[in-house]
Amino acid sequence: MPTLEGRPLARHQLANGLRIVLHRDPTLPLVAVNLWYHVGSKNERPGRTGFAHLFEHMLFQGSANVGTNDHFRHLQEVGGVANGSTWYDRTNYYETLPSRHLDLALWLESDRMGYLLPGLTAEKLENQRQVVMNERRQRVDNQPYGRAMERLFELLFPEDHPYRWPVIGRMEDIEAATLDDVRGFFSTYYGPANAVLSLAGDFEPAAALASIDRWFGGLPASLPVPRVRAPLPPLERAVHDSMTDRVQLRRLYLAFRTEPFGSPGWWTAAVTANLLTDGKSSPLVHDLVVDHQLAQDVSAYVYPTEEVGVFLLVATVRPGVEVERLAARIREHLDGLAAPAASPSAPGWLAALDAELERARRRTLAGIYSELQTLDHRADLLSQYTTFFDAPERAFSEAAAYQQVDIAAVRAFAAARLGAPNSALLVVEPEGERA
Amino acid sequence: MSLPPTPSSGRSPDRTGPPAPGPESAVPMPVFDRFSTAPEAWGAPVFVASRAGVPLIELEVLLEAGGEHNPPERPGLAAMTASMIDEGTARRTGPELSAELERRGGSLSCHADWNAARLRLQLLSSDLEYGLTLLAELLFEPAFPEHELERLRQQTLAELKRRADQPAAVADEAFAHHLYAGTIFALPLAGDPAALLALRRDELLEFHRDHYRLERGALVVAGDVGHEELSAAIAGAFPAPAGAGAAAMAEAAATTEATAASAAGAASPAGDPGTHARALRIVVVDRPGAEQTELRIGHLGVPRRHPDRVGLGILNTLLGGKFTSRINLNLRERHGFTYGASSRFVDRRSCGPFVVSAAVTTSAIGRAAQEVLGELRRIRAEPVSPSELDETRNYLLGVFPYGLQTVEGLAARLDEIALYDLPLDTPARYLAEVAGMRTEELARLAQAHLFPDQALVVAVGPAEVLMRQLAELGTPELWRPAASTGSA
Repeated sequence: MPTLEGRPLARHQLANGLRIVLHRDPTLPLVAVNLWYHVGSKNERPGRTGFAHLFEHMLFQGSANVGTNDHFRHLQEVGGVANGSTWYDRTNYYETLPSRHLDLALWLESDRMGYLLPGLTAEKLENQRQVVMNERRQRVDNQPYGRAMERLFELLFPEDHPYRWPVIGRMEDIEAATLDDVRGFFSTYYGPANAVLSLAGDFEPAAALASIDRWFGGLPASLPVPRVRAPLPPLERAVHDSMTDRVQLRRLYLAFRTEPFGSPGWWTAAVTANLLTDGKSSPLVHDLVVDHQLAQDVSAYVYPTEEVGVFLLVATVRPGVEVERLAARIREHLDGLAAPAASPSAPGWLAALDAELERARRRTLAGIYSELQTLDHRADLLSQYTTFFDAPERAFSEAAAYQQVDIAAVRAFAAARLGAPNSALLVVEPEGERA
Repeated sequence: MSLPPTPSSGRSPDRTGPPAPGPESAVPMPVFDRFSTAPEAWGAPVFVASRAGVPLIELEVLLEAGGEHNPPERPGLAAMTASMIDEGTARRTGPELSAELERRGGSLSCHADWNAARLRLQLLSSDLEYGLTLLAELLFEPAFPEHELERLRQQTLAELKRRADQPAAVADEAFAHHLYAGTIFALPLAGDPAALLALRRDELLEFHRDHYRLERGALVVAGDVGHEELSAAIAGAFPAPAGAGAAAMAEAAATTEATAASAAGAASPAGDPGTHARALRIVVVDRPGAEQTELRIGHLGVPRRHPDRVGLGILNTLLGGKFTSRINLNLRERHGFTYGASSRFVDRRSCGPFVVSAAVTTSAIGRAAQEVLGELRRIRAEPVSPSELDETRNYLLGVFPYGLQTVEGLAARLDEIALYDLPLDTPARYLAEVAGMRTEELARLAQAHLFPDQALVVAVGPAEVLMRQLAELGTPELWRPAASTGSA
């Protein structure tokens, strides 16, 4: 089976601290350029939330040599596809474009890394503030179940924890952001020493490195940014809450704290999520959606977060079904996985756990192969593993990490992490029907 | 980092403008192939995109069994028939089927849209023969178990309730309801509660018998597989007609293969969806208290096979089809009304819609609608500058290879070729048309195909605000979607 393991990778570092990863694949005349800055919403503080994301928007508003809106214009007029995104631990910026235009991407990325502030105006900030407030309305406030994750994370994380507030921020905080905030944020977090630049695609490595050096090498060195450390042990007591929303179907959210992204326990959590809900034949989908029809849908997934991992299970309740009944049935599955002999009513699939694990592994593998087809995904993985672990080669060994998870690990994970004491349960009820 | 720093050259580059590009490289063409198999085996044309080095294979059976064939009293019939295909066969139950497939790492989806029903299978390459055998079983021996129909009926009814909670889905439904009034396209593809409750198993069997006809379908394959290997695998998976259905299909295939190509891509059985409205029409759906309003503005477009369709794609890219399009720059970057606004021509065998979509701050809805209509009028009235056309042209030529990275992307291009009976060299023809586009032609296309003064405007938000703000454009009508009252 051909995989990407062993594909050529080269890593470098400029004197100013910028780390570089190069991965050559000349299949198509394209190159993916990807930059991770190790800053996200976890670097914010309560009352000043949403700033990392608003700042990301400002990075598309031009710099000393690039006019407002010209970032997208320059890239699109050569056939480039570009965007950026902000998350708890990081902010990324990326473009995939015809490889002959590699220098264009390097010019744009280096100009905003080095010379953002001369292009900054109050008018641009005000415009993007309005855009971001509309983004929040579209994704959160005017979306069914849109505010559920915010409430769930308030249950899962303590008052001062940096994953407690939403990445997009609170509306009043977005409104309060000032130009001085933007300037300060840039100076603190957007230097070359806090960034990783990855290229994947059709280029000659030596020439590409020379180009990178030409565009980025002259930028002044920056101070290393101390990482925000916020590890958390499992919850000691189950927490639960309910909220209302403009919806007709109830939905339950069940979250558990896990080990952070990249740790052995995190891979186990990821395989367990797929084991439980990936595919129509997976035990939770089969039991809850097909067989007993307690749920309209059910899915489990893990957050690749750097400080604390999150295992999340979301199920929409079938009309006419008691939410307590669905929650209890889910607990039976999870408890059975942790201690199969404990309950005589334990679900039958636990007797064939090896087959279920094999399904989860194979589907995960197919998913990884599918994602690795695109250059953008590969470049993003390289930045991710370099930013978090200084180990780009791990980007192409995810399949192996998943394959190492065995039944004993899954059972131990379920026992340690998926029990009621480590859980946060949120139920979203239709408005006007709350008991 | 343990590596020594790379020495810096210290040379400072010219930052004042975009750097010059490297030497031109040829735009790569996907390698597409089409061949026929013996009618008694498969009978339908096989479309292949070969892609070396990817350990995945994409198999798709495409059938002329989409929502356009729904009887007026049975919206949702095509969608339900497709969803039932993998819920059990003469040999196995649905759960047995999915368990075996998923243990191999495979994924299967069976769905119908307006144009077609599709059985899509993604597998590890080593499972090619298994995949073809599974598709043959699904096609020739579906069982349509009564209890699975009942389950999917309840699931779809609940899905309709959920959709009624989503403002974007409500806006799309209201737009289709008014644009296609009096035709099957006005009703939700998934059906409405009354039709779903009335749906019977024998109607599914009849729909399957009439429309799941291989001689009018195609097999689309993308992945690391050659012609010979694929032919052999097909012959192995379809060794002999496996049942009455297969025999009938094989016979039909033998007699109609010659005419199949000309039948494909013909006009929709649902007929012409009508003519353009005489005047602007405004429809409001109440969502009390919403700070954001879902806005749709548009009218009928053209069928996929219309000679202007590729040109309209170029025009639309400039108007609302990319981040730097006129509509997005206006509504998002100039005014901050929205997180994003876009427009598109939706492809169908008959006239699909042309529609502009945005989620807009409610307090600005009147101005946002005026700006959209203004952009449609402007592109009809004023010539597009050569530089703006160049930007769009270069964008489309440059992004072309992007879609060739994945087997899914390759399969999607072949699907379109098979569905609309387009030539195999459609990608090359498309690139030539993009390269040759002129500003005069864009002006002609805009005048011939954009109708701002006969458009349908749909807004989902607080009615009291919307009725007042949109009164500047005309007389808004209030509409209450039936599904949200939830008769189920």
